[in-house]
Amino acid sequence: MQHVIDISSDRLRLEEGRWQPLARRLQTAGLGAIVVALAIGAFGLESLLRAYVMNLCYYVSIALGALFFVLLQHLTRAGWSVVVRRLAELFTTAFPLLALLAAPAVLLILTGGLLGFPAAVHQVYPWTDAQYVAKEPLLQAKAPYLNAGFFAVRLAVYFAAWVGLSAWLLSRSLEQDRTGDPAITRGLGKWSAPAMYLFALTLTFFAFDVIMSLAPSWYSTIFGVYYFAGAMLSFCALLALTVHLLQRAGYMVRAVSVEHMHDVGKLVFAFVVFWSYIAFSQYMLIWYGNIPEETAWYAVRQTGGWIALSLLLLFGHFMLPFLMLISRAPKRRLQVLAGLACYVLVIHWLDIYYLVMPPYYFKLSDPGTAPFDLLGLLLAGLLAVGMGALLAGYVLRRMAMHPLIPERDPRLTESLAFTNI
Amino acid sequence: MRTTDNNGREFDNTADDPRQRAELVTGGLGFADVTEVVSNVAERPRPPLAWYVALAISVSLLGVLGAMILYLFSTGVGVWNLNNPVCWGFDITNFVFWVGIGHAGTLISAILFLFRQKWRTGINRMAEAMTIFAVICALLFPGIHVGRVWLAYWMGPLPNQMAMWPQFRSPLLWDVFAVGTYFTVSLMFWYVGMIPDLATLRDRARGKIQQVAYGLLALGWTGSSRNWHRFEIAYLLLAALSTPLVLSVHSVVSFDFAVSQLPGWHTTIFPPYFVAGAIFGGFAMVVTLAVPSRALFGLKNVITLRHLENMNKIILVTGSMVGYAYAMEFFIAWYSGNLYERFTFMSRALGPFAWAYWTMIGCNVVAPQLFWFKFFRTHIWAMLLPVMCVNVGMWFERFVIIVTSLSADFLPSSWGGYYPSWVELLTLAGSFGLFMTLFLLFIRFLPSIAMAEIKTVMPQAEGKGPRGFDYNPDEYESPGRVLATGGSH
Amino acid sequence: MSHTATAIDTRRTDGASDGGRRLHALLVEFETPSAIKEAARRIRDAGFVRWDTHTPFPVHGIDEQMGIQRTKLPLLVFACGAVGCLTGLVLQWWTNASNVDLPAALNFIRGYPFQVSGKPFWSLPANIPVIFELTVLFSAFGAVFGMLVLNDLPKHYNPLFRSQRFRRVTDDRFFLCVETADPSYDPQHTPALLRSLGGTAVEEVYDEPTPPAPTRIVNRVLVVLLCLALIPPAIIAKARVSRSDSPRIHLIQDMDNQEKFKTQRAYPLFADQRVMRLPVAGAVARGELGDDAHFERGIVGNGYAEQFPAHRPEVRLTAEFLQRGHDKYGVYCAPCHGFDGSGQGRINQRAIELEEPAWVAAAALTDAERRSRPVGHLFNTITNGIRTMGPYGDRISPEDRWAIVAYVRALQRAHYPRAGDLAAVENIGPRERDGGE
Repeated sequence: MQHVIDISSDRLRLEEGRWQPLARRLQTAGLGAIVVALAIGAFGLESLLRAYVMNLCYYVSIALGALFFVLLQHLTRAGWSVVVRRLAELFTTAFPLLALLAAPAVLLILTGGLLGFPAAVHQVYPWTDAQYVAKEPLLQAKAPYLNAGFFAVRLAVYFAAWVGLSAWLLSRSLEQDRTGDPAITRGLGKWSAPAMYLFALTLTFFAFDVIMSLAPSWYSTIFGVYYFAGAMLSFCALLALTVHLLQRAGYMVRAVSVEHMHDVGKLVFAFVVFWSYIAFSQYMLIWYGNIPEETAWYAVRQTGGWIALSLLLLFGHFMLPFLMLISRAPKRRLQVLAGLACYVLVIHWLDIYYLVMPPYYFKLSDPGTAPFDLLGLLLAGLLAVGMGALLAGYVLRRMAMHPLIPERDPRLTESLAFTNI
Repeated sequence: MRTTDNNGREFDNTADDPRQRAELVTGGLGFADVTEVVSNVAERPRPPLAWYVALAISVSLLGVLGAMILYLFSTGVGVWNLNNPVCWGFDITNFVFWVGIGHAGTLISAILFLFRQKWRTGINRMAEAMTIFAVICALLFPGIHVGRVWLAYWMGPLPNQMAMWPQFRSPLLWDVFAVGTYFTVSLMFWYVGMIPDLATLRDRARGKIQQVAYGLLALGWTGSSRNWHRFEIAYLLLAALSTPLVLSVHSVVSFDFAVSQLPGWHTTIFPPYFVAGAIFGGFAMVVTLAVPSRALFGLKNVITLRHLENMNKIILVTGSMVGYAYAMEFFIAWYSGNLYERFTFMSRALGPFAWAYWTMIGCNVVAPQLFWFKFFRTHIWAMLLPVMCVNVGMWFERFVIIVTSLSADFLPSSWGGYYPSWVELLTLAGSFGLFMTLFLLFIRFLPSIAMAEIKTVMPQAEGKGPRGFDYNPDEYESPGRVLATGGSH
Repeated sequence: MSHTATAIDTRRTDGASDGGRRLHALLVEFETPSAIKEAARRIRDAGFVRWDTHTPFPVHGIDEQMGIQRTKLPLLVFACGAVGCLTGLVLQWWTNASNVDLPAALNFIRGYPFQVSGKPFWSLPANIPVIFELTVLFSAFGAVFGMLVLNDLPKHYNPLFRSQRFRRVTDDRFFLCVETADPSYDPQHTPALLRSLGGTAVEEVYDEPTPPAPTRIVNRVLVVLLCLALIPPAIIAKARVSRSDSPRIHLIQDMDNQEKFKTQRAYPLFADQRVMRLPVAGAVARGELGDDAHFERGIVGNGYAEQFPAHRPEVRLTAEFLQRGHDKYGVYCAPCHGFDGSGQGRINQRAIELEEPAWVAAAALTDAERRSRPVGHLFNTITNGIRTMGPYGDRISPEDRWAIVAYVRALQRAHYPRAGDLAAVENIGPRERDGGE
């Protein structure tokens, strides 16, 4: 019954000549979309800034999911995932570009806004507005933490940590491609444990700083975990989608089998449930406690057009994917799984939209003070396409430079032979 | 049966070599040897003296528990030092502590099963049994603290003459459903997994009583492959159901606190934080029980050093999660700007219960950090130090949460203190007696190791040599050409 | 390891070979999982139906070799889970949020909506935990009992257990078993085929015409236990439908008989032999002077006040004052008198449904008699109670009592408007819904 999995005939490298032009076109198109968004955004600077921050958080979350995945596989000495681990490593190469994309927003906050931006910055991050802070004792109490200078320093630290971690993980893995040295695997396993600490703290405080502080009087201890759940979910979805696209183009057809994708599908399912668990915990406790400074955050999301988005998330982010993924069949049919992955990526985008886009100021008695912002939706959509294409092109370039699987990983044989029960 | 290597030391299978998976059964054991080693615990005519001594102590403590409960019932809840405002003290602390202990069992049997962690087979049965017994201890406390225990059935959705129903918006009622479901499902999971091993004991039984008892319990299991197929699917489904269940149970327990508005209780991270803490404390208890069990009953070849090391690593991981949650609570208490939140946490660290708080931090956050060192993970006496700390620390965690928040809330005029009465102290000690009595009886009379499951992870099960995947460096000479052997289709 | 098949082992498990027994199956023994997988494939290819392999642990890959279809158990479990989910949902809605009229005999399962901590009757977020737990519980029942039923377990008699050799199936041996009842079974060819599989032994297993004695005992014990298990529910059912005049068994004294002195009881140590002590003569509690009879008792001169005590700043007939009256009325009066003052409050309705003998129906506050009463009279009734209605003076402050009286007057006027009232209301426009109900 023993059999041989021979992947010598598999195509495991993207040819540079074939893929670099596509990557260039993607980057050009992405830049174009961003420029168009910036131009339209001149009509609504607050919407523009929110949409920009929102998409930044979205793409950072996917890259963070990839980073976590790689660390986790090393930490647990996972065997099954070796054939897809390189893809995750390549996703994390997006961090330098993400840092670059984050820079203008951070700069804007640091300088207190340029070119008529102050009002918009103050609307989006009220703690930057000295006059408003002077009126709010709660914000004064947080001023040692929520101030522009410290904010910029913290973001610089987060991105430096992520760029450094991802570069180290990829370079060690590529080093093993050359030498086949099992000690590299051992070293990665050993150091990924402390790296997890760094990851957990940077992710949490990134979520606190960039998203939670949009509503500076609101707080939730679970918020970092909430952001993490979405990050891992969207990464797993993107992984399934990428494998499908690569296999359609004729790559890694034998190396990655339906068994591996079944497992990726299980992870998507697991994180759909985990996200729901965390989202429910946060909502239920705040709903039940009913403390004004906490419920205000949900109240605005149940006002005006935002209630539709809340319900959409309840059904679309939990019930629908839960029912679609619960049985075995869709996880083992790659086309179906890829379709579901696209859906999950969109719904996670809406989740981040739900976190970032609703305004902070509103009166419960007057829902008109928190209107659903159509311009914001348009800008967010444009920026999603723009940043997505830019990042995809950037990552595709790096994908074309390296093998698609860690070719000499000592656990590759185990991974290739992997089967589910 | 060999339990030591040529140098007279325990087999050390903890080396980390990515080229091959470590063996999970040491001493070169075959299928029949595994059966022999495990069944021997239940079949030997008389257990070691230490077992009798332990049982004598446990049963004495159990008697103390019975006496304390009787005293409580006959006299009233006033025999405890509960007061206003500290209306929950040792009772709920013990409840949460014991429920938490149970969670490691489900983690090992269900979550590690889903994660295909083959090493779980050495310890899962023992851990599942521990779950059942811990949940029994846990259920005891809300049962006896309700005051009029004989009306405890009012918690169930039973119709009565008044057409009054339980109040389903109360987290205390969710507890009834969550812990009840958890107990039922854990019991079924444990029993279902045990059926094939009970059949083994049945087929080996010599005495008439054993034949009938094990025969009834084994339900007529014949190891039919058609049965195994459904059995495995059912087991997988139970694992998939138990995983969210175990998360929900301690989440619901955390809701008991978190739905309130009390500073230090009302915080959104409570559900995952309680779950992580539960698994953390539970693993410490599994290690505490596994270490003497394997030594007393000659199980060192099936519960190997690697099993213990892996558990210690999980203690480190979950301990770090708990540390993360402490840090988040503290940070957000400050970040909220809310006077009461800030006060509660400062009062925990510097107030009258600071001794309990720093015991908790020392035992739960600092002590597990020793497991960064392989020496502590792989040496029995060294690992028992942090493990015992965790057992203590997790009890204190619940004590700190419950008592500090209750004793000093919003209004200084309604602050109060709390110290346990002798009845509460003896009840806690007695609950350990209940737990240990059940555990000692289990290990003596039931298959304490999942024999059938261990056999599936032995290399012989795949028709291979003692190593699952043999690494041949020559195969890696040319990148892109990789040959793999193994699998079955 | 030797793979030589021995000759058919004709040794019966207990030596007897009387004519009552029949050949049940043929067993082939193997030593390794790979050997039995190979044998299984050959038996499947030979077209047998009633055959099986027996192994100490689940041998992976043998399902395909034997051609076992994937079980439908997951579907069953999903269905059970769906039932559990619905049960949780309906249970909580029915008991805490519904108020459906049922025949009197079914009143004990009627829903009873009651408000807790300002949450709506139907509070879905708070109902999720129980819904979830019941979903998991029912699913787990489905998985366990579904597996047992599909596997035809428990089964306490199986002819295979008559084989001594078969006892190692739960240890380290692998068996292949072909039943003689199989349509493809052939007394000549099948044993030969089985011998050629390369097992270490082939054995005939015989069955008895009737189940052996231990099985019969087990069955009888089970029947007896089942009968005994029916006794407690029978006793409960009887207790529910029958009446008894004897007092309930007071095993635990509870708080019913406490060692303390209750109000209005005798106490020998005081000269006046009363438990309750009188205040020192002439003492007046703070704020209890009671010098404003109009405001505090509703009395002017010797009769009930006809007017509101307008001399007090707390009593002003404004919209806010009426709103306060409305709120307090909703808390204290509406349970019996109804929100509309018709006397059809929830408690009143229920007491009448249950035909409570001691119940005096709550008065309709809007009838002619109450409309004609002076405000001081209404105030006095609230303060001191009337007939079976208890006094509320100790728990509602005087100004709130006046607010309630004002609101009752407003209710009366709403039922019997004066000329011009309707036009005034129409000018206000559509009525704004009140957030309180």
